[in-house]
Amino acid sequence: MSYQLNCPNCGKRAVSEFSFRSEYIKRPAPDAEFTEWADYVYFRKNNMGHQTEWWYHRSGCQNWFLAERDTTNNTDHRSFWYNELEQNSSGKKGDS
Amino acid sequence: MAKRINTHQYCELPNPGAEISFQFNGKRIQAYSSDSITSALTASGQTLLSRSFKYHRPRGAYDIYGQGHESLVTVNHEPNLLADRIRVKNGMVVQSQNAWPSLEFDIGEINDTVVPMLPNGFYYKMFHKPKWLWPIAEQQIRKAAGLGKIDTAGKNNDRRYEKRYRFPDVCVIGGGPSGLAATLGALKEGKQLLLIDDNPELGGHSLHSIAEVSDCENEKLNGLAEYKAVQQLIEELASFPNLEVLVNTSVFGLYEDNLVAAQCGADLFKIRADSVVLAPGATDRHLVFENNDRPGIMTARGVERLIMCHSVLPGDNAVVVTTHDGGYHTALLLHGAGAKIIAVVDGREAGHAEGVFEQKIRELAIPVYKGLTAHAAHGRKRIYRVDVGPVSGGDSHKSFDCDLLVMAVGFKPQVNLLSMGRKSPKWDTERQILRITDLPSGVYSAGEVHGSAGFSRLYSEGFNSGKEAALSETTPGKDYSVQTERTADEIIMALPADIESGGKHHFICKCMDVTRSEAQASIDEGYDQVESLKRYSSMGMGPCQGKACHESVARLAAIDTGLSSIEAVPTTVRPPFTGTTFGLLAGRAPHLSPIRRTPFHQCHLDLGVKFLDAGQWKRPDSYTDPLIEASYVRNGLGMIDVSTLGKIEISGPEAVKFMQFMLPGKYAKFEVGRTRYSIMIGEDGILFEDGTISHIEQGIYYLTTTTGNQDAINSLFQWWMLVEEFEVHVKNLSLANAAVNVTGTTSRDFLQKLVDIDMSNEAFPYMHCRQATIADVPVSFYRIGFTGELGYEIHFPAEFGESMWQYLLTEGKEFDLKPFGVETQRILRLEKGHLIPGTDTDALSNPYESGVGFAIKDDKDDFVGKAFLQHFKERGIENKLVPYQLEPGSQIPDDGVAVLDKGKIAGRVTSSRLSPTLKRGIGLAWVRKDMSETGSNFSIRLANGQDVQATVLDHAAYDPEGLRLKS
Repeated sequence: MSYQLNCPNCGKRAVSEFSFRSEYIKRPAPDAEFTEWADYVYFRKNNMGHQTEWWYHRSGCQNWFLAERDTTNNTDHRSFWYNELEQNSSGKKGDS
Repeated sequence: MAKRINTHQYCELPNPGAEISFQFNGKRIQAYSSDSITSALTASGQTLLSRSFKYHRPRGAYDIYGQGHESLVTVNHEPNLLADRIRVKNGMVVQSQNAWPSLEFDIGEINDTVVPMLPNGFYYKMFHKPKWLWPIAEQQIRKAAGLGKIDTAGKNNDRRYEKRYRFPDVCVIGGGPSGLAATLGALKEGKQLLLIDDNPELGGHSLHSIAEVSDCENEKLNGLAEYKAVQQLIEELASFPNLEVLVNTSVFGLYEDNLVAAQCGADLFKIRADSVVLAPGATDRHLVFENNDRPGIMTARGVERLIMCHSVLPGDNAVVVTTHDGGYHTALLLHGAGAKIIAVVDGREAGHAEGVFEQKIRELAIPVYKGLTAHAAHGRKRIYRVDVGPVSGGDSHKSFDCDLLVMAVGFKPQVNLLSMGRKSPKWDTERQILRITDLPSGVYSAGEVHGSAGFSRLYSEGFNSGKEAALSETTPGKDYSVQTERTADEIIMALPADIESGGKHHFICKCMDVTRSEAQASIDEGYDQVESLKRYSSMGMGPCQGKACHESVARLAAIDTGLSSIEAVPTTVRPPFTGTTFGLLAGRAPHLSPIRRTPFHQCHLDLGVKFLDAGQWKRPDSYTDPLIEASYVRNGLGMIDVSTLGKIEISGPEAVKFMQFMLPGKYAKFEVGRTRYSIMIGEDGILFEDGTISHIEQGIYYLTTTTGNQDAINSLFQWWMLVEEFEVHVKNLSLANAAVNVTGTTSRDFLQKLVDIDMSNEAFPYMHCRQATIADVPVSFYRIGFTGELGYEIHFPAEFGESMWQYLLTEGKEFDLKPFGVETQRILRLEKGHLIPGTDTDALSNPYESGVGFAIKDDKDDFVGKAFLQHFKERGIENKLVPYQLEPGSQIPDDGVAVLDKGKIAGRVTSSRLSPTLKRGIGLAWVRKDMSETGSNFSIRLANGQDVQATVLDHAAYDPEGLRLKS
């Protein structure tokens, strides 16, 4: 883990400056079945390949952003703000 | 015998520097300031440098570049340093390692004569049964087989390990001709350059070559001897201001995105470069034959370095074994320094084109033998004879008496940094070396590492790579073979990996003392894959990490398992490339984890505080004895620094909506001037945080969090604001505000003296907040009761920290106000039965079982964790966190010990202290629900195996009705 992550605000920085939150997933509707909530809390796809993830520039500008990262090589990724999600991902912006 | 030389027939010798002296094993050694430890010892006639790992065989100077393990010594109490690499200093104390009672007479050498008794894996086999034998045997084996002793007391260690950072455009690794040319090539493109070499001086192997440079692109260098040409090149580089040079610096790792890790003394350099040029070069190939490890056997480049860089002639009568013209060059240097060349033994059959230096050797009428190679060396602490014979092995033809055997049998590229666990080198039949050609993008390579040779070719390859790297013409998978096609006379013949000539001391891996026959035995036992062979026989696992034997191991394993050399698969090469100490890796990095001090830090120091590390914070643990400090609060007046609390201001049109969503409480009817206890739970319904929330002004709320969570909660809020699109302002005031808690029966009387608001119980009741000024400083009061006494948290701007602390202590004198620390506070809160999330709870603790369900109002719309809280409610309570007390006089359990029910584990203690107020043990424990009734008893198992009886309490051991809080 020595790759550099591209913060949309600060540019390329060592990944050790960032905190990883999780894959981008949508929050279930308030009245969803409990099993759906359990999946939301405990299950992740953990793709081999491209996945969209939440990152926080902890030791930098302290902004949250999204990065679409290739988990097989780490270096190949794009990052963008949450409000740019729709044009950057097949997934729709939702209640995360 | 070795000696110093003053003049050389064919070259100028460098200025040796000042005369100095140092100690080796208690003996005074004369040296010059330009000496390495090895060169100084060699010049003084000290042949032995170390003893081998397993058989304690004598080992001497070998390659002078620190590639092997032979030169490992202890310098000024720091073990396992390479004598080849270290410049001597006046008064330096050097000791040899792994020898007892002395380097010259080592009892362990008996292992060498009983080799058949110590085959590979002997300890797995011999000490397998009986079982009791192994611990005893292990101790003895560890004592006998080892390296230097670590100075565990640290008394002689005053090094301070630091981390340093560099961000060059291009980082060139290797300061030989191709590395220097690469640097020049990139500099000419206007880039910022960092050039790293692991030797004390730049120049690489060219520093000891007298070959004349011709046809070089850099025309100024043509006609010069290489050692002069390279100096001129170094001078040319010195004129560029945007070049930084690091010498004596070993690059030990090359990681993702061009992170270069390098060590220079006690400094760790972390270098992030746009492009990296690797020009690590090559070393003399390691040849396997009988007694190939004896002192007096040296590499050609080692000998050349001793002569031309250190003015040391390592022997009088030399035999040179070679397969290329470079060996004749070495022979000529030896001759010019005054040695007698007994013979040059050339592995090539007669008939090939003669090189420049071969012709010179023939002109000197030195005997040259073709088609032969070394078969065996004789001598123990120093060779006195070598046998030579056919390359194909069999009987030896001839013997020569000599005290120096020079090996110039081709080059082994240092592919380590090109590989780094990502790429595996392949055998290149044309060049007869292991090579890596497909590099990650942004990484370039040039020079001898690709089997190139000759100054001009190295220069042009280097220059082009440097230029390419500077222009970032990233072409992953590029192959250098087109660019650098070999001509027939440039191919250096690789001798067989082992000269099959009788004897049992053909050392493949000298670090771990593994011989050819041992390797064969391991293959016969079924370890016939190179990786399993390595692990079983431990070849390549010693201090040099296969730098010397990596190639031999691969080639021999291929032969012995019936493969051709093309199919030779070397073991994976991973970082670190050179030995790195734990100190270096741990090192200081204060900017990555700063020490955080509260505004009152100096005040605490002045009071003689004992600090406690709470995450990055320094908090007062106590000033005197926590038990005494507790009595200040219970019987008088105390004050504690609570500046480390997280402090978050929430405002904006949707502030209430936001709080209702983030926190499990309800805030629609939360009046100005009120303060509430609040908890936080995750989406998983687990309790992770508690604090207070106050409505300080209309529409402005003030949340406090625990010390450890102050940053995490701020970032969590920011995230939820983003995804849920709340119209709310969250201001992190954690560092902007300082805070103290003034607590004790007389706290109101004291504070009333300082403020002009009404502090009476009627005007300012429990769980309320007020704004006021103290000494003209605006302050906020929060009347809460963590300690169980009447108390006020006072928050104010951090810049008034020290003066406010002093003012309060001075004004509080008449009330006998005393400061207390965190440990005291922990005792006080435990007397009240208050939990601390993370201490008394963990990742399975839901708020109902933790006893803070009262803070949840789930009859509201969607909020964080609602679904799981609902689930927990339906599931019901299984375990409970309960306050308990022990009988007076009972021993106090440690935190974390087990709770027992009928002899079986039924829970655990999370906090346990002696209550100075109640004079008995108190605490919090998780127990099964059926054990949690007030008044019921359970056992606690102490660390010493004894049990004590505990009684479950209703709420708090001290002032259960909270009368003191509300008074």
